[in-house]
Amino acid sequence: MSDPILLFLAIDAVALLLLGACAAMLPLAGSTFLATMFSGLGTLLCLPSLILRAPETTLDLPIGPPGLSLHLALNPLSAFFLIIAFLAGTAIAAFQETTIPMPRTATVRITAICLSGTALSLLAADGVTLAIGLAIMCGAIYFPQSSRRIQIAALVPFLLLTATCLLTPSGFAPAFDAIRAAPVDPNHTSVAAALTFAAVIALNRGGSAERCWTRDALTAGVLIPSGSYLLLRLNADLAGAATQTGWGFVLLLAGGAIAVIEGWHAARHPDIDGSVACLARRQGGLAMAGIGLALIARAADLPAAEAFALAAAFLSAVGGSVAGVLASLSVHAIGASAGTRRLSRLGGLIHAMPASSAALAAGLLGLSAVPPGLGFASLWLMFEAILSAPRTGGLLFQLPLALIGAALALSAALATAASVRLIGIALLGRPRTPRGAGARETTSPSRTILLILATLSVLVGVLPGPALWLLGNPAIQALTGGPPGARIGLALLVPSSASPSYLALPVLALLALTTGAAMLIPRWSRKESKPAGLWADGMAPPVGLPFGEPAAQSIGEGFLPPLPDLQLPVLPKLAKFAPPRAPSATAGMWLILAAFGLLLLVLAVTG
Amino acid sequence: MIIIESLLTQILHIGLMIVAAPTVAGALDWLDARLSGRSGPPILSPWRDLVRLSRKTPATVDSVSVMSQLAPSLGLGATLSAAALVPSFTLGMALSPLADVLVIVSLLTVARIAAGLAALDSGAALPGLAAQTASARAVLAEPALMLAVVTLALIGGSFNLDLIIGQQREGLLLPAAASAVALTAMLALVFAEASAPEGGAPGASATAGALDQMASGTDLAISQMTGWLRRLVWIDLIGGLFLPVGMANADNGPLAWLIGLAVWGVKLGAFVLGLSTIQTMLGRVPRHGLHDLVGVAALLALLATIMVLASTGTA
Repeated sequence: MSDPILLFLAIDAVALLLLGACAAMLPLAGSTFLATMFSGLGTLLCLPSLILRAPETTLDLPIGPPGLSLHLALNPLSAFFLIIAFLAGTAIAAFQETTIPMPRTATVRITAICLSGTALSLLAADGVTLAIGLAIMCGAIYFPQSSRRIQIAALVPFLLLTATCLLTPSGFAPAFDAIRAAPVDPNHTSVAAALTFAAVIALNRGGSAERCWTRDALTAGVLIPSGSYLLLRLNADLAGAATQTGWGFVLLLAGGAIAVIEGWHAARHPDIDGSVACLARRQGGLAMAGIGLALIARAADLPAAEAFALAAAFLSAVGGSVAGVLASLSVHAIGASAGTRRLSRLGGLIHAMPASSAALAAGLLGLSAVPPGLGFASLWLMFEAILSAPRTGGLLFQLPLALIGAALALSAALATAASVRLIGIALLGRPRTPRGAGARETTSPSRTILLILATLSVLVGVLPGPALWLLGNPAIQALTGGPPGARIGLALLVPSSASPSYLALPVLALLALTTGAAMLIPRWSRKESKPAGLWADGMAPPVGLPFGEPAAQSIGEGFLPPLPDLQLPVLPKLAKFAPPRAPSATAGMWLILAAFGLLLLVLAVTG
Repeated sequence: MIIIESLLTQILHIGLMIVAAPTVAGALDWLDARLSGRSGPPILSPWRDLVRLSRKTPATVDSVSVMSQLAPSLGLGATLSAAALVPSFTLGMALSPLADVLVIVSLLTVARIAAGLAALDSGAALPGLAAQTASARAVLAEPALMLAVVTLALIGGSFNLDLIIGQQREGLLLPAAASAVALTAMLALVFAEASAPEGGAPGASATAGALDQMASGTDLAISQMTGWLRRLVWIDLIGGLFLPVGMANADNGPLAWLIGLAVWGVKLGAFVLGLSTIQTMLGRVPRHGLHDLVGVAALLALLATIMVLASTGTA
């Protein structure tokens, strides 16, 4: 059934690549339309594979040297991440088509090539195809930027190719089937896990140096979920049981640290787009922590805990992608209309741009941890995984679990503070600038796209069980090696038959019922409210400012507690290391050749 | 029959919480005054305030959005939802399958968010200042509360409040030292919340929230009721988790309910007396010391979690 699907997906990826290459020759409207169509087609092609629970299918491409031809495969894990990447890509491309002012051709090219590379890397069934896909993806995102970004982009495929080669048994091509079939050396697995970890950190931290909403949205919707996929594919799937528990703890603690740090940055970033980007990266950290916890549970042979942790990681990936893209697109619409993305210069946009404001609020609900949002379902699953985690090993092994619990709670509070700050300062209150007061709602098609994404984000948050059942259950079953210990029911998230679960829909119904009852109280008192004009804390408005002093409003500082004033020891300054500069482009080529030679030497030595 | 009993106890519980919240607030004010040597306001004074405020004509600021109209109701709705989920005199109520401790903590967060957003919506300086101060304090207080309840969930093996209380009642929540540390953390949070001058202005009253500075009439009455209900939820949560004596089961019948009700009243009275006594003896925590107190509570909650995990790990 999925053989033609895989073929069509491969053709779709190639078509996107060709579109990216030829975007400059096509009319802008035509290229954005084609990008939307190809991305949407990819989304639709993944759906039957997930709904019908199709087994893994492979496709050998007659490309490359003998014995090293490229392989593609469609399995539940790749289908899950493909559908969220294509969905994000569809929304971004459609928004490019409808937004005003129209984007430059370069951004359409970035979208098409990035999606093509992502599709190729997610469909890859060998290390070389994976590296090629990642090189295309990272090149599309980082290539037009500064040299440091290019260095990062060059590192990611290189690191992952090395990691795959390390996992491959000697004498075989780096195909995933060969890796799964043979036992893996634990030392090789550890080095591969370290390289994968470094590559994913580079992907998550990459970001965009220059202000570009397309790159921000692609980072949130495509790059960060791809990082989660790479961790799952290399550490949980290919390495299997050989991945040492220590790497589970590394991922757990690193993910927790990323979630806290990014949450903190989100709550104090001066720009709305920067704050949303931090919240999207926080989702990547949460997914990483979930994968780490799954590896720990797998080592202790606890499939229920592993299933919970994987479900939490999957929901974090969905949240980061859907809600992250929604928030990024809404922020772009708001920034473009209000003329600035600086938080302290925005305000009162809910009056001028109600649809975009509601979309941003829905996106932030998905990115923070407030019920009945998507982020809360993911947080609940993470805590449930901690509850079911192994209780062996004494203080040394239990301390990271306690720390991750604290990090999750702190990160949730920081994300909530960041969301309140963004909504309260940018959308509510009074306009702070004349340009902000003159902001107008975005175009009707753009509003429709935001509305669809917002509905999707809220629906997945309210019905996390069906969403996981539809999208994530096959992958979870494939990774845990059988039916999961946890029942992820059609309507609920059920940890076990004996314990009650998180019931998002009834919680929403209860909240709606009590709020509705509270709303009836003012009606019961039958007192018509009296307009009181501007509230200036009892003072008359300043002369010349009949609508009050806009600068008297909060500008978004002080939403975080002060950090303790710790006196850290001053480290002695090290002499600044100046890396030797390549004298010419020819020398650069020689350096690349030398690096490949070194890689081949390492591979030969390690077997 | 069990369904009817659980429904009946749920309705009784919600009614009890709504009635008790202003009464407890009045009792606290009266006790505070009595312990300070003053005559004090009548215990039913908050009820009088609610009636008085609901008769006043509310004033609406021109520039506010739909958020300001929705926030008081959302705040009260979220707090009432949390109150409905925290058992007072009986276990096994109709909504007990929803009584997840993380959901309860997060519903209280929803109420705080609603008040903060309404304050920022007003566009005025002081409510905005109060909202950001409350947000800064919540960044530490909410993780501390979440960690404390997660600690008890780790001991009880479930996030469901009814199951945790049931196990505590049977003396199964061990180690007791971790429970005691979690209790200390939660008491520190209650004390910090009771001392918090959320008004932001130097002269603001202790119970005035960020929303109270902007609301008037019925909205102000709803906002005040939200604050009182929130305090009662805290008291019930601590009482249920750490002193679940005398709680009935929904299927035990009216006599057991009455006994549970009487014991709950005694526990409530003891807690109110204790809180007033501590506040009178120690005074309110100064504004600059609140972050430290909440930080200590967070560290205590983390310590309790480590104690639980380490003790089960070596067992």
